Formats: sequence, C-alpha cells, structure tokens
Amino acid sequence: MQALPAADAENPHARRATPMGWWLLAPMLIWLALFVVAPLLILVVYSFCSRDDLGRVVFDFTWTNYARVFDDTYLKILARSVGYAALTTLICVAAGFPAGWFIARRPPAVRNRLLLLVMIPFWTSFLIRTYAWIAILKSEGLLNATLLSARVIPQPLELLYTPVAVVIGLVYAYLPFMILPVYGSAEKLDNALVEAAHDLGAGPLRAFSEVIIPLTWPGIAAGVLLVFVPAIGMFAITDLMGGAKVAMIGNVIQNQVFKARNLPFAAALGVVFTLLFVASYLALQWRGRRARA
Amino acid sequence: MKMLRSLLPLALAAAFGVATAGAAPKGGKLNLFGWSEYVPQAVIDGFTAETGVKVNYETYASGEEMLAKLLAGGGSYDLIQPPDYIAEALIKGGLLTPVDQAKLPHFGNLMPEYLHMPHDPEQKFTVPFMVGTVGIVVNTEKVTTPVNSYAELFTEAHKNRIVVLDDGRELVTAALYTQGKDLNAMTAENIAGTRPVLAAWFKLIKLFDSDSPKTALLNGDVDLGLVWCGEAAILHNEDKKFRYVLPKEGAHLFVDLLAIPKDARNVENAHLFIDYLLRAEVSKLVSDEFPYTNPNAAARKLLTPEQLANPASYPVTDRKLDTFRHIGDSGAAIDELITDLKNAN
Amino acid sequence: MSDLAAKRFPRPTGLRLLDWGLGAWTALVFLFLYGPIAVLIGYSFNTSKLNVVWEAFTFRWYGELMRNEPILRTLGNSLVIAAAATVLAVVIGTTGAWLLHRFRYRGARAIQTLICVPMIMPEIVMGVSLLILFRVASLELGFASVILAHTTFCFPFVLVAVQARLQGLDPALEEAALDLGATPLRAFWLVIVPCLRPAVISGALMAFTLSMDELIISFFTVSPASRTLPLQVFGMAKVGLNPMLNALSAIFVVTTVAFVLFTEHLKRLAAR
Repeated sequence: MQALPAADAENPHARRATPMGWWLLAPMLIWLALFVVAPLLILVVYSFCSRDDLGRVVFDFTWTNYARVFDDTYLKILARSVGYAALTTLICVAAGFPAGWFIARRPPAVRNRLLLLVMIPFWTSFLIRTYAWIAILKSEGLLNATLLSARVIPQPLELLYTPVAVVIGLVYAYLPFMILPVYGSAEKLDNALVEAAHDLGAGPLRAFSEVIIPLTWPGIAAGVLLVFVPAIGMFAITDLMGGAKVAMIGNVIQNQVFKARNLPFAAALGVVFTLLFVASYLALQWRGRRARA
Repeated sequence: MKMLRSLLPLALAAAFGVATAGAAPKGGKLNLFGWSEYVPQAVIDGFTAETGVKVNYETYASGEEMLAKLLAGGGSYDLIQPPDYIAEALIKGGLLTPVDQAKLPHFGNLMPEYLHMPHDPEQKFTVPFMVGTVGIVVNTEKVTTPVNSYAELFTEAHKNRIVVLDDGRELVTAALYTQGKDLNAMTAENIAGTRPVLAAWFKLIKLFDSDSPKTALLNGDVDLGLVWCGEAAILHNEDKKFRYVLPKEGAHLFVDLLAIPKDARNVENAHLFIDYLLRAEVSKLVSDEFPYTNPNAAARKLLTPEQLANPASYPVTDRKLDTFRHIGDSGAAIDELITDLKNAN
Repeated sequence: MSDLAAKRFPRPTGLRLLDWGLGAWTALVFLFLYGPIAVLIGYSFNTSKLNVVWEAFTFRWYGELMRNEPILRTLGNSLVIAAAATVLAVVIGTTGAWLLHRFRYRGARAIQTLICVPMIMPEIVMGVSLLILFRVASLELGFASVILAHTTFCFPFVLVAVQARLQGLDPALEEAALDLGATPLRAFWLVIVPCLRPAVISGALMAFTLSMDELIISFFTVSPASRTLPLQVFGMAKVGLNPMLNALSAIFVVTTVAFVLFTEHLKRLAAR
C-alpha cells in the first residue's frame, strides 16, 4: 500500500546489468513503453487536433482545445473537482488518521483483528458500497424514515442528489485508503517517543501536532495521494449520488468521449489533469523531504 | 509452488476463454446496442432459446452517446437502436448497411404512417421499433396546481422538485418551444438565445437522468419531470397519481429505429432479431414492459384496452408534435451550453 | 512485577484520555464503514422492492440473481479478464522485481518511476489514453483490450510487493545455490521463487481484486462482448434500486470476508 516506494538501489550484491539482464527486462520495458508512455504521448498529440461533425478526429494543429480548458466553465469545474476532492481528503484525514493511529497502538492480537475490519471494506467493490448509500439517503429512505419517526426533523431532509451526498459517497469509498497507510507508518513508531514527548511537558495536543504528525507524515502523504487523485477523476459516484448535476472533471472527460464525441478536447482535459496531478505529487514529495530534513 | 501450479489451469482457462469468445458458437452471436430500459430481458432470452444466437446487450442513455460509442467501437456492434435524427446522420455519413426487407417476413406488421419518414425517405436503412414523445409527468398528489406547459413546469414553486432528461438537445428544444422557435433551427444564435431561459430552469432542477427518471419520481425524491412518455406510462401503471401532459407549446415526437451498422459482423443475425421483434406477440411483450407507442399494427391488436387507453403511451391530442432532424455540428454548441449552465449554479 | 511497574510508572492520564477518545472515534469510524453494508445485506432478504419498509423474509432475490443472464455473463467475463490479467501481472511483476534487484541497470531510477506511473495515474486519464491508443493502433476493443489495460495497472502492484520481500532476502541464499552447481535459472526457480511466494501470492490477490473491481478504465476499453461485472452493476444502479443488487452485494461481502480471512491465514503460515 506504500504509494511512494523507494528505488531498489540498495542491494549491495547487484551486478552491473549484462546484455542478458537487459534482454530479460525488455518485455516489461516494452510493455511500459507501449501501454503507459505511448498512450500519454498520443494523448498529447490528440489534444492539439480537432474533430469533424460526426466526431472523427482531424489532424490539424490547434490550440482551441486548451483555450477551452482555460475557459471559465471548465476552470470552474476543475476548481470544484479539486475542492470536492480536497474536502474528501480532509475528512478522510480527520476520520482516518486517529483510527489508523489508534489501531496501530493496540497490542498485536487486537491490532490484527481491527486491521482485518478495515481490510474488508477496502476489498469490497466500491460500487456496491456507493449503492448502499442510495437506499439510505433518498427522500423516503432509511435515514429520513428513522429521523422522522424519532421526531428529530419535521420533514424529510434533501440529501440524495446534492453535493453533500457526493462527498459522503467519496469519503465512504476512499476512507480505507487513508486508514491503511497511516496505520503502516504509525505501527513503526516507537511508543516511547510519544510518552517522552509527554514527559517533557507536552500536552496531548502538542504531542499530537509536534511529534505524532511529523513522524507519521509518510503515511499521511501516501493516504492523501491515494484519496485525492482518484477522487478528482471519479465519475461514477457523482453520477449515482449527485444526479449528474454536480459535474466533476471525470464526468466532463467521460461526457466528451461518450456524448459530445470530442476526443481532442477530452485529451486536452486529460493532459491538464495529469499536469495538475504531477504538480500535487511533487508538492507532497517536497513537503515530505522538508519534514524529514 | 503448489499455488503456481494451481494458477496454471486458471491461466489456460483464461486464454481459452479469450480464444473462444472470439469464435462463434452454435447459432452465433449478436451484439445489440440499445437504449437502457427498452428491450425486455425476456425477449432476448426468447430469441436465444429459439435461434441459439447469444445476445450481448449493451445500453446507452442518449443518441449522442450511442453515436460516440458506435464511432469508437468499430465493428463491435451488429444492431443499434438509433433515434430518427441520429439515423439520419448515420445514413448521410454512409455508416449503415441497408436492411434487406426480403429477410423480414413480418415487416408488413408496421403501420404505414411510420414508414418513409424524413430521416429515411426510401425506407432502405431502418425499421421502426417504438415511437414516443417527450412530455411532462406530474405527481398529482404532491402538485395540485395545473401543469400544462413548460412555463408552468419550471416555476419557483417547483424548485428542487423536478427531474429532467440528461439530454442537451431535448432541453434546448423545450426552451426553443417557449420562445416560439422552430426546434430544428439550431443556429448558433438560436442556441445562445435559449441561455437565459435554460439558466433559470437549471436553478429549479433537482436531477438530470435519462436512464430511468421514473426512479426518482417513484422514490419521492422529485414530483415533476420532463421525461420519455414510456417512463410516464410505467409510472401511470404503477400509480394513477402520475399524470402525463404534452406541453402546450409543443413537444418532441421521436421514432426509435433498428439499424445495422456498416461494419457489423453478424448481419444475418441482426435481420433475424429485427424480424423477431416485428412479430406481433414479441412486440406486445416489449409494449407490456416498456409502454411506448407501438408502431406495429398487429401487435396493437393484442394490447389490452387499458394499455391502449394509457394517455402516456397513446396520447389523444391536438398538440403540436415535431420530429428532430440531423443538425450537424450544432451538437457541440449545445453540449457546451449545457455544461456551462450545469456549472453556473 | 509488571503490575508493580505499572503502578510505579502509571501511563500519564493525559495520554490515557487521548487514547480513550481515539478509541471512541475509531468505533464511530467502524460504525460508518459497516452501517451501510449491514443495511444493504439486511434488505437483500426483504420482499419489498423499495428498500424502506421491512415486509417479510425472502430468498427470492438470490434466486433471481442466479438466473439473471447479464449478471452471470458479465461475472464470467470479469473472472476471465481478472485471471488473465493476474497471470500476466505476476509474470511481468515478479521477473521485473527480481531483475531490478539482481542487476544494476543504467536508468534504474527512471525505470522505477515509470513503473509507479500506472499505480498512481488518474484512472480516467489512463482510460482515455488507452482508448485512443487502441483506436490509433486499430486494435478492436474486446477481451484483449481490457486484459492489456488491466495488466498495465495491475503488474506494478505485484512488482512492488515482490520488491519489498526481496529487500529482506539474504543474498547468500542464491550464491550458495550457485556454488552448489545450480544454473542461474535453476537457482532462481528452486531458491528465489519459493522465498518470494508469499509476496507473489499477496501481489496476485491484489491484482485480481483490483481487476475485478475496476470500473473506470474498463468503461473506456470494453466491447459489448467483454463487458465486465462492475459495468453491469453500474448500469443497474443507475436505473434505480434493485434488491438483486443487494443480494449481489451480500455475496460480494461474504466472499470478501472469506477471502481476507484466507489471505491472513496464508500470511500466518508464511510467517511461521
């Protein structure tokens, strides 16, 4: 689950690669070149093309697709996607960090059981988990029925097909992705450090912010990456829980491909999205390096 | 080691599965690309039982979506269900295989008024499947004021109680009607002219759904809708409180067709399935589950009086009804407008 | 003795308070994670279609599920695709990890970064770019296109899992085998592979689940014949609530629990 694995350069017994070594590695390198590098390059090429009225791609050079990406509408969508994903990530950190930390501090037997409990939703289909919320949130659904009969609210809450529903869906889908890496780095942490901080007069809050958070930063960073990136591009949850009203960048790309038949524009959106993602990745790495220094 | 060895048969099975998936079993196969909620599973099962042809049924929720996947998918589809205006574009683009009526013994079941229509004047490439309208459905228990027009649907009183089709062209058309303009005059100015109307409407809409707008109405999440008539007819059958209205300003009349893409692989099976759907008793099964207007005269004779009296399926009306025509590149302008408006709120 | 130690050095009350708060918070998180799943499973036994009022107990939806041709067919497709992608991912990932461990390659750092790209790249970008690639290469969408796509995002997970295990491996093992006269290939097969087995298995399981659950990349790379189960479920969920989906979910959850317990069992065996 470690999202940022270190290069395996430490093996002192590694030998300089022989031609044979290169031959053996070739299939994997070719695979990466064909299915990772080539598609991205073609994506960039397509983003400068245009389309005919049936939607077939015409190879001429144009900046219009990028001009459109930086048009008000799409900037707003981009900003909103980042906003929702950031909110989701924030809630996941707030909910997941204490849980991951708590689990890691238990004695091994309890710890493993609790960890299993996190793994089960993690391995269960996210679609199914999203679907579960529809029955709960709809106007005549379980939540409203319960609250109404308990007389907590006078009339049904409007939850389904609102941004609130989208964020609930996103948090629910990605929370385990935050708990697991946090657990991973918290488990390695020596309990004595925390108690030492306390002995030195740090209150629980100060111990948390000045000792615990910096020491578990790699886990948080990995969790943030694992939640934030997929949350921006997710279209299924916004479709199912947002009533197709709360467009996020993933919905727009999907619509451009499968409705508007505008592959070049979808490609341009994809390129910008990728750049955005690379930037946030580098920012996290940079923050991590600073934390270590 | 044991694990690896037990994985081996799995790998073989996978490779074998891939190989056989390409080859045709007895009876062959048919890749059907149709609207969601339009061909009952029972009809597909019946066809497979009779002919041995395996049907892969993939669905879409708008004509645009179908066109996009068709253009992307190459020869992967054998039979499609385009709406009239998309079929017109496909015919103009030379993307359809002519339908051989000699292979369709039940073609004569169709009512002549649904043949030789403007999208396919020679009746060479398409076969009518179902006909319908786009209108307003009202939950009369929750909404007591009369709703007979787009103007009465989109009012402040109905804020957040409305579901509409997630289909840009339908929405722009409704707006054009309120402005008294021709719904096929999709010029850039006309489209731009609908912006203020639609912007006001979008503030009132709770959700966009083309797949199954009836769900939100049934669940009580919304009380009014601009929906396909078939959806309204199902609601009406479910509960008489749902009333279907054709708007005063005019409404879109659509004909959904069956057509065979140019590079279809299983043209014979496509013909077999078209003819199967044209049989009176099969067509009746479709009408039982998805009560649109059936253009099949023989099938209509089998329908019950209640079915024929469903005002959503067989409206008796003097309202202005118009069909869509192919509008070329204007689709992009509509899409841009709708995306823009959805994000303005 | 330990009792005495605890008395002499009691855990500071502040920390205990914090611990208590964290425990309560964790309990809430688990409630949030499991509540909806419990509701989902509960309603799969309800006769009502609408998932609100409890009417009566029934197995009807399970029966309908077993007879639902599209679900069974797409489930079959998903299993075939996941199995094929897993096998390819294991082969590419394991050999890749071993080679990168065994040899010093020029540009190893770049290669390592490249391997991470499919793991963290937004799925939607990967989906669109692969769709365009297949179209440019005029590879018709079908089983091959989905399997290629799934293998691409699955094998890095296997590779990373195996790499982690290799780092803890005693290099003397392989040298001993070579000294005893084994060919490099035999040494790899007889010494390295058995050592890597737990990592390979957990990587394979990861790949298999990822492939089974993948929606977005599949969305762009399937054909009607190779439609996967998540796409079918997505389509059904869009149309509305359907108790058959509840039944399917219940089966999924039970399978997952069995599966997680099984892997834990394997891990314990490996650790012994």
